[in-house]
Amino acid sequence: MRVPVAWLRDYVPLEMPLDDLATRLSVSSAEVEGIERRGVPDQDGNLSRFLVGRVLEASKHPNADRLQLCVVDVGEGEPRQIVCGAWNFGAGATVAVALPGAVLADGLELEQRKVRGELSNGMILAEDEVALGTDHTGIMLLDEILEPGTPLADVLPIVDDVLLVEATGNRPDLLAIYGIAREVAALYDLELAPPAGVNPERTGDEGIDVQIEDYDGCPRYIGRLFRDVAIGPSPVWLKARLHAAGMRPISNVVDATNYAMLALGNPLHAFDFAVLRDGRIVVRRARPGEKLRTLDGVDRRLTPDDLLIADAERAVALAGIMGGEDSEIGESTTDVLLEAANFEPFTIFRSSERLRLRTEGSNRWEKGVDPYLAAPAATLATQLIVELAGARWVGDTDIQGDLPERPVIQFSPDRADRLIGIETSAEEQHAILGKLGFEVEGERVLVPTWRARDVTREVDVTEEVARFRLEDVPFTLPERRAMFGTLTREQQLRRRVEDVLVGLGFVESYTPSMLPDDETTWKLSEPITIELTALRTRLLPSLVEAARRNAEVGSRRVALFEIARVYLPAGELPDERLRVGGVAEGGFAYVKGVVETLYSALKAEPVFELTKDLLFHPGKLARTAAGPLGELHPSLLEGTWSAFELDLSTLLEASREPVTYVDVITFPPVRQDLAFAVLEEVAAGDLIDAAREAAGAELREMRPFDVYRGNQVAEGKKSIAFSVSFQSHERTLSDEDASGLREKIVEALARRFGAELRA
Amino acid sequence: MDAGALKNEALGAIEAASTPGELDELRVRYLGRKSELKQALRAVRDRETGMALNEARVAIEDAVDVRQSSLERAELDRNLTQDVVDVTLPGEELPLGGLHPITQVRRIVEDAFLGLGYEVRDDREVETVEYNFDKLAFAPTHSARSSRDTFFFDDTHVLRTETSPSQIHVLEEKAPPIYMVSIGRVYRRDAITATRYPIFHQFEGLAVDKSLTLADLKGTLLHVMRALYGPERRVRFRTHFFPFTEPSIEPDVSCGICGGEGCRTCKYSGWIEMGGAGMVDPRVFENVGLDPEEWSGFAFGCGLERAAQLRHDVPDIRVLWEGDLRALRQF
Ligand SMILES: [Zn+2]
Repeated sequence: MRVPVAWLRDYVPLEMPLDDLATRLSVSSAEVEGIERRGVPDQDGNLSRFLVGRVLEASKHPNADRLQLCVVDVGEGEPRQIVCGAWNFGAGATVAVALPGAVLADGLELEQRKVRGELSNGMILAEDEVALGTDHTGIMLLDEILEPGTPLADVLPIVDDVLLVEATGNRPDLLAIYGIAREVAALYDLELAPPAGVNPERTGDEGIDVQIEDYDGCPRYIGRLFRDVAIGPSPVWLKARLHAAGMRPISNVVDATNYAMLALGNPLHAFDFAVLRDGRIVVRRARPGEKLRTLDGVDRRLTPDDLLIADAERAVALAGIMGGEDSEIGESTTDVLLEAANFEPFTIFRSSERLRLRTEGSNRWEKGVDPYLAAPAATLATQLIVELAGARWVGDTDIQGDLPERPVIQFSPDRADRLIGIETSAEEQHAILGKLGFEVEGERVLVPTWRARDVTREVDVTEEVARFRLEDVPFTLPERRAMFGTLTREQQLRRRVEDVLVGLGFVESYTPSMLPDDETTWKLSEPITIELTALRTRLLPSLVEAARRNAEVGSRRVALFEIARVYLPAGELPDERLRVGGVAEGGFAYVKGVVETLYSALKAEPVFELTKDLLFHPGKLARTAAGPLGELHPSLLEGTWSAFELDLSTLLEASREPVTYVDVITFPPVRQDLAFAVLEEVAAGDLIDAAREAAGAELREMRPFDVYRGNQVAEGKKSIAFSVSFQSHERTLSDEDASGLREKIVEALARRFGAELRA
Repeated sequence: MDAGALKNEALGAIEAASTPGELDELRVRYLGRKSELKQALRAVRDRETGMALNEARVAIEDAVDVRQSSLERAELDRNLTQDVVDVTLPGEELPLGGLHPITQVRRIVEDAFLGLGYEVRDDREVETVEYNFDKLAFAPTHSARSSRDTFFFDDTHVLRTETSPSQIHVLEEKAPPIYMVSIGRVYRRDAITATRYPIFHQFEGLAVDKSLTLADLKGTLLHVMRALYGPERRVRFRTHFFPFTEPSIEPDVSCGICGGEGCRTCKYSGWIEMGGAGMVDPRVFENVGLDPEEWSGFAFGCGLERAAQLRHDVPDIRVLWEGDLRALRQF
């Protein structure tokens, strides 16, 4: 909401510095996101060079067909000669004049100069030159009762500040200048003027045929009829206010409705009464397949959820959101029906949502407008229409359903103190509530109509007190009876996984949870980009992408990891699993080392098995219980890259912490090297497993340290050398013990794999 | 012979020896087979003379050993001074990665809350409309329910728009008192720009106990903001509106770049918005079957990206998501 300060001053006297006002409003009412300075500079007496003038003579410039030569009285005794390019005025017009030396809104300083040989001793102003609007098609015409020489700043806001107020969704009352004024008055204990607008005299008593078929959607409809309406532009002051508040002036009648909405918060609409069939208004839901062309020229297909304003035959407006093109006010309109209604929020929200159509009106309706606001809004608009368009007000109707009662709430200042954590006397609390329009009678609080949707419970009343006391509330901590917080085992181990990978050179990276479309998984119904469409079931594709980008920009030693979720389809909700994934330059042995180190850091034993996975090199790939690891498929990245993707909880479950101590110091080990010739397809791991089975726990370690192929072994065979150590934690093993264990291993490997012990 | 005189002469000479060669000569002269001392020892007849000679021998041997090791050490040191490296050359390039700035912030937040006795948790990211909106008392017209603002899968499933559903999950799982912080990814339907990314991270705190106050909430947030940004930071609160808290407030932390004077980062206000907070709305307690007369609580949620950006002065949020090592290796 843009709040022009000059307009705000109509309702509340402001004397405080604007910065202070902005801070107080931000803390207690609604955030002020900024203060916009508008208009011409207000320094070095600049304002004194802007005056009201009256055109005494106007004729064609002798040397230029498109210029006027004017003589203008600006109250100086001696009139000034001014050259002007506009033709929308003549002698007798009251205009705005800037004298030489004046600095305009765009920062340009006006000079006395000759234009085509004629002296121009000033400038007749168009609205854009003083930031009152964007129009530059003609100069501003002012009210004829103004005296020449009157300072322009006294009659037009050629200097103004605009507060940019961001009201929260529960405060539609703050989407109005008057609502902001009410907060300011309460915050600073100032006098609040009554709402703007006085009904002019009604000069007729014509009936208006309004039927509400749906009181749920429209609990109230005030219709007012005007005849002899002269549609035309609004006066400069009104256009200036709309412009400052961010709305485009259209015509006097439409501007009057927008002005009343901005001032009071109740959106209004004006129909060209002559085109309403049978002069009737029907408020109803749309019929299936019904259509309406709205003001923006778009044909809208409606559903029975949409609330309509119709005439005897057809839709003429999408209630609360936008009028129809047919019944729009135009230059030739002479009869106007003013609508000041109340619409139910959810209905408006749903239609505006479905039609993707947000307007100043729908934005207010969907937050819940006070149904008692319709009457003052109608009054203000009526006054303006009569004054600005010379209209006669000839008919009035007010159809109401059951309007909500004002909530009555049991409120205890003591209980408010206990929730807020600071003492505020009952008198002060009641005073705050009173200034905000609440009526306090003992322990009962009567909520004002404009807050009736938001304040319905004691805690809501407490908030009203709290927001006025917010800066005084102390900083305390809960008085805990028990205090204990610790990371769970999984959370601790996750940190260890992160730290170990960092120690191994991996840089942690965050990649998006979504991938391009994938039929097999959870898909967003309305993605913002094709790249982020389906929930991922793997981490590696995104990490491979990131690795590729890094390689492309020439980063060295690329090693990335991420701990994040994958979303596996599983019934009503996906199974969200945390995984740790990594991609790095290096081959199979490197990534296996990384995974072994991870397991080792967790005090866990990995078991490696063969597996299949399309992301990997089919011959350089294995898996542990937690997931795959291996060399990436060469089609994915250039060079030798490896990767792993492990399910974090499976990995953490393998942890055997705390470990149990084993005595490997008291009784020394016996170490031997053993080399076996085996067929090429026999895996080292299978030999080790068989050896363990044969020798039992006294085979302490058996680690391959060399694989040999060549003329020392037969064709189709390889030799694997192991360093082996035997150890008992109960006694020192003798040479005989060791050779006995060795025999068992040699025998088992020979029997099961045809392995030959090499000397 | 005079054993004492011999000993003194020998010790003096040994002390004066300046090279291993000289010392060797002295060893031969005083302790060799043909030395005066050895000959005297072989010739000794009485116990007293024997003891005196022996004492001299031991003393001379010890002196030789001591002098030997000191000469050797001196020689080694002399040699080492020739063996010089250029200490300005870089060390060996060992692998070291790094934690993402958001993980670093996550740990700071976790540790701050652990210190206050909170448990740390995370909940699912794919939520039902019931948990993401209904049980948190979002009005049917709340704009967050719009498919313009929120990622829907179908009418009833969304990507959670804040970590607040954790409040419901924890309240349904266990009885108060509850002190928990939930940290994880959340999603909003924003186009990707320098300041917005459709995926981000939040931490959400919830305390439910007997007689908690708005003042307790202010104090808790002050503690956490100072853990994140430093002990000199000031915190202020503005009134706000959230469906699931009442009263609702927004915490601001004083701008660390300008110290509160106003600058581009804080949009010339001196303050930086940190998130949302408030006292748990009685409706939320009712939705999970707790008596709002018996229990009170507060909740708050803040973005981790914002904290990471401010800590490291990262102007563009996309840097946090691109996985570019040139950026990430700085943190
Ligand atoms: Zn700043």
